[in-house]
Amino acid sequence: MESVRYEAPNNVEAAVRLLAGENGAKVLSGGTDLIVQMRLMNRVPTVFVDVKRIPRLSALALDAKGLRSGAAVPAATLYGNETIRKLWPGLAEATDLIGSSQIQGRATWAGNLCNASPAADSVPALIACGATVVIAGPKGERRVPVEQVNVGPGKTSLAPGEFIVEFEIPAPAAHSSDAYQRLIPRSEMDIAVVGAAVALTLDAGGVVKAARVVLGAVAPTAILVPDAAAALVGSKCEDAALERAGQAATAAAKPIDDRRGTVAYRKKIAAVLTRRVAKIAYDRARAR
Amino acid sequence: MAKVVFTGGLRTLVGAESIELEAARVVDLVAALYARYPALEGKLEGATVAIDGTLHHDARYQRLLPTSEVHFLAPIAGG
Amino acid sequence: MSNQNGSGSDRKFKVVGTRPIRHDGLDKVTGRANYGADLALPGMLQGAILRSPHAHARIKKLDVSKALAMPGVKAIVTSADFPEIGSGGMAAGESHIDPKDLQANIMARGKVLYHGHAVAAVAASTIEQAREACKMITVDYEVLKPVMTLAQALAKDAPILHEGRKAVGVPPLPEGDTNIMMRLANAKGDVDAAFKGADVVVEGWYEASMAHQGYIEPHATVVTTRENGQAEIWCSTQGPFAVKSMVAVTLQMDPNLIRVTPSEIGGGFGGKTTIYLEPVAVLLSRKARRPVKMVMSREEVFRATGPTSGTRIWAKLGVKKDGSFVAADTRMEFEAGGFAGSPMGAASMTLYAAYNIPNFRFEGLDIVVNRPKVAAYRAPGAPNAAYALETAIDELAQKLAIDPIDLRLKNAVKEGDVASYGPKYDRIGFIECLQAAKNHPQYKAPLGKNQGRGVGAGFWFNVGLQSSATVSINDDGSAVVRTGNPDIGGSRASMAITVAEELGIPVERVRPLVGDTDTVGYCDLTGGSRVTYATGMAVIEASKNVIEHLRARAATIWGCEVDAVEWRDGQAVGTNGASNNKPLSLADIAKQMAHTGGPIIASASVNPPAAGPGFGVHLCDIEVDPETGRSTVLRYLVVQDAGKAVHPSYVEGQFQGGAAQGIGWALWEEYLFDKDGKMENPGFLDYRMPVASDLPMIDTVVVEVPNPLHPYGVRGVGETPIVPPLATVGNAVSRAIGVRMHQLPMTPPRVLDAIETKKG
Ligand SMILES: Cc1cc2nc3c(=O)[nH]c(=O)nc-3n(C[C@H](O)[C@H](O)[C@H](O)COP(=O)(O)OP(=O)(O)OC[C@H]3O[C@@H](n4cnc5c(N)ncnc54)[C@H](O)[C@@H]3O)c2cc1C
Repeated sequence: MESVRYEAPNNVEAAVRLLAGENGAKVLSGGTDLIVQMRLMNRVPTVFVDVKRIPRLSALALDAKGLRSGAAVPAATLYGNETIRKLWPGLAEATDLIGSSQIQGRATWAGNLCNASPAADSVPALIACGATVVIAGPKGERRVPVEQVNVGPGKTSLAPGEFIVEFEIPAPAAHSSDAYQRLIPRSEMDIAVVGAAVALTLDAGGVVKAARVVLGAVAPTAILVPDAAAALVGSKCEDAALERAGQAATAAAKPIDDRRGTVAYRKKIAAVLTRRVAKIAYDRARAR
Repeated sequence: MAKVVFTGGLRTLVGAESIELEAARVVDLVAALYARYPALEGKLEGATVAIDGTLHHDARYQRLLPTSEVHFLAPIAGG
Repeated sequence: MSNQNGSGSDRKFKVVGTRPIRHDGLDKVTGRANYGADLALPGMLQGAILRSPHAHARIKKLDVSKALAMPGVKAIVTSADFPEIGSGGMAAGESHIDPKDLQANIMARGKVLYHGHAVAAVAASTIEQAREACKMITVDYEVLKPVMTLAQALAKDAPILHEGRKAVGVPPLPEGDTNIMMRLANAKGDVDAAFKGADVVVEGWYEASMAHQGYIEPHATVVTTRENGQAEIWCSTQGPFAVKSMVAVTLQMDPNLIRVTPSEIGGGFGGKTTIYLEPVAVLLSRKARRPVKMVMSREEVFRATGPTSGTRIWAKLGVKKDGSFVAADTRMEFEAGGFAGSPMGAASMTLYAAYNIPNFRFEGLDIVVNRPKVAAYRAPGAPNAAYALETAIDELAQKLAIDPIDLRLKNAVKEGDVASYGPKYDRIGFIECLQAAKNHPQYKAPLGKNQGRGVGAGFWFNVGLQSSATVSINDDGSAVVRTGNPDIGGSRASMAITVAEELGIPVERVRPLVGDTDTVGYCDLTGGSRVTYATGMAVIEASKNVIEHLRARAATIWGCEVDAVEWRDGQAVGTNGASNNKPLSLADIAKQMAHTGGPIIASASVNPPAAGPGFGVHLCDIEVDPETGRSTVLRYLVVQDAGKAVHPSYVEGQFQGGAAQGIGWALWEEYLFDKDGKMENPGFLDYRMPVASDLPMIDTVVVEVPNPLHPYGVRGVGETPIVPPLATVGNAVSRAIGVRMHQLPMTPPRVLDAIETKKG
């Protein structure tokens, strides 16, 4: 019988040493993916490296430059923060969608990202906001945009011994906002059939200056859809522009058929959600 | 005489929609039916028996009136 | 929530109809209640089951020797350890189970018939050791082509699940090997001629997916055996006496050696009217000479325990312009799972039961497929049948431009009408339910864009069957009532209310208990909506017997004849000759029990007829997102005739629970299999039962048309609520999108497809 160890280092270096030390080591944040998978799929690590005792990973700092959030800050703290909800309403609503209250007391962005499910809810929203992760590892620290962390279902670009220490999100420019929606058949406790996040920056006249459109659950990882963003730039998110953005989303979506949805359905919904989410982000940005 | 009404498979076996029989109790009625229609033998065991609209799960010794109408139904239970 | 009285029984109740806190509530909300997996015995082993990785295969060789040598392993059981038994019927829940099939479902013999079918079991010191040992059992399979759908099962060259087994039932029956296990048929009048005379006819196929009961507590048991052959079984079940007889038959044991104690039960809905683990645990315990515990995982529950049948039903219904039904014709195909025995019989009896249809015909087929063997699920078979008929009625209402409730009112059965299954109806409340639904504010609430309102109705028999009860009096004047019916729907509260009503004491002074098979008199299982009706009757009788004792004791105290003592309003009152005495309360008499002859206790047993039909009418308002096909239930109403609601909260709870399950079945729940017949969604994440936020507060109207067969007028209420929702929800979706949908669940992709097909 295999035995499992549990370690809870209180600094980054110790965590790196533990993680680099053995192949079967796993970072434990909220455990809402890890523990479930261990039970269901019999994927038992040799050692859990619980990172919640490292002070830097639980810190939350907001200033003029933006947000710096420790990787182990739970979802409930993040969307419960009024400033975060005001500056990044889309990211907050995506975070609020994860599981239920019980899950949100534990679940983290880092876990959501490193579990590397294509359907993770916070990931498209983080990408739309231009979030970056700070990664610590045996060779020191590096900074990487969130969209470069996942490389496929269940796979990340993190090297052995590396883990995410914190998230940095730049303060939004004037007249900016974001939005996120997912489609699930039920109302909660379900996995996105399609997710869409849009972040927009407008000029003073309400014309879109910059846009980021991200889709979840329609490709091996969350994907940026530059064509959809381009369709929005220069518009006031009128129906025609939204329609073009939606078409670009459908074209970019490369989903699979599985128990949660079909290729054809997911491609259609990618367009619907892109249109709706862009409109919400636009209305929010106008109100700023 | 009690009236026995047949539906479905029983009707096929008996070849009639209903018949009249002299019987004081269901057990006597069943015996008389088996005697008259050998093909029925054993087919009425465990049936839910409707006597004048009331569905009995076990009607063996239920009394019948000369005016009674009897139906043999599939056993019913539930979930 | 409101109450509507039909012409009531004139008895004035004191406690019946009130809403006391349930006696088992505190333990349940504080986590103290002991469920199936909570018991632990000294020296207890843990059992695990090795399950088939194939949906259809022959077992060529099974070798357990390596597994037996694994650390901690104390015993291994395979089908070779079960006695060979012959065929023959036995009752279990709704369907009649062949004991041989029951046994082969518990442990595959020769062939595996679904993915997850048990092939061996291991008992070891720890669960991990038992699971590891399962992996070391080698099974040689000859993999066969799985038969996953009704169409595949009926195809000409279909692989046969049970070679050599002949179809039974009403001819014409298929010749030779077949996957059709039974055919039922019936007809009345001249159907073909009647259709020719109809003004409007609708016809179509209506499909529903297999659906699981979804009880929160997985199956669990602890068994200990003794050298003298006795077996003690603790388990989560709806019927301890049923477990006793099923274990006896599957192991060919003397039932006298078996004692079954039901644990607290975390839901059953029919799914715990049969057995899976108990005989296996008995055999493991015998071999290991140690107690053995077995607990299923959620995944095992989905893969290997009984859902209810998926169905394909073709239905045709004809009406006159004025809305009167003239003819109906139906063909029902029921998935039985790996072994014969779907609820097709009950479906065929309930199908037309709510309406007067002068000419009708039906054919029903019980068909085996390589899916888990179905088990009873709330009004088994009736929801599937009602889905077809009640949808067809809605289509007719639209074609005739008649209000759907009016169309039903025009054809609804009432007292004195002949039921489609033969006999005449006594007092029933269908018309009252339809009228209550029509008069409810929801029926008049305005509908917005993309919204639709569905109406549906349903019928269920509600059984009687055998029950016993014992009531005893404590010397402090409190009472205990004992029955053998596990409490799955608040029945403890109902039993206590009944005793309180009869004896005239506060309901808090009555302690309701559920006993084991050795400590209480025989009770048929908790199912068929029977407990408050039938076991309640036994409790009334037992209470009345207690009152006889109380009168006699009062007479002893007063030194008068029993005839001079009356029981009135909870006390002994003296009449002719004894009227000078101050009335004696139950507490007064209880205090003197020792002086007047010792403890007071009385029992009673009943085997009443079926409780009389329960009719229900549901309304559902739904909004469909036209771009995604996603449905949101806005409002939902359940109207049902309860006869008399003993504890209205639990009657409403049954209404709401049945509706919630039916809505889930209609919108989200379905079994998904891959091409090899492996279930792809064996968990609540992807087997989408509704969660609280998916549903609005379900409104209820309790109609009370007293049942003449019960002293209080009680009817069963537990099952009818799941009959109407499939059609009610489907009708709402179809009206919201303006296209008739014919397949459940109405998932977003299916609904979107229908919308887009309409747009062309
Ligand atoms: C009932 C339920 C409902 C759910 N609903 C949703 C939902 O609606 N939407 C959704 O997106 N998800 C959902 N989830 C999944 C899960 O809750 C989220 O993915 C959550 O964000 C994971 O975070 P965690 O902190 O619990 O991760 P953990 O389980 O601790 O870790 C997940 C993975 O990330 C790795 N990891 C964790 N932290 C780090 C780090 N700092 N650096 C590197 N690797 C790390 C772990 O090693 C592991 O591989 C649900 C889960 C459950 C059980």
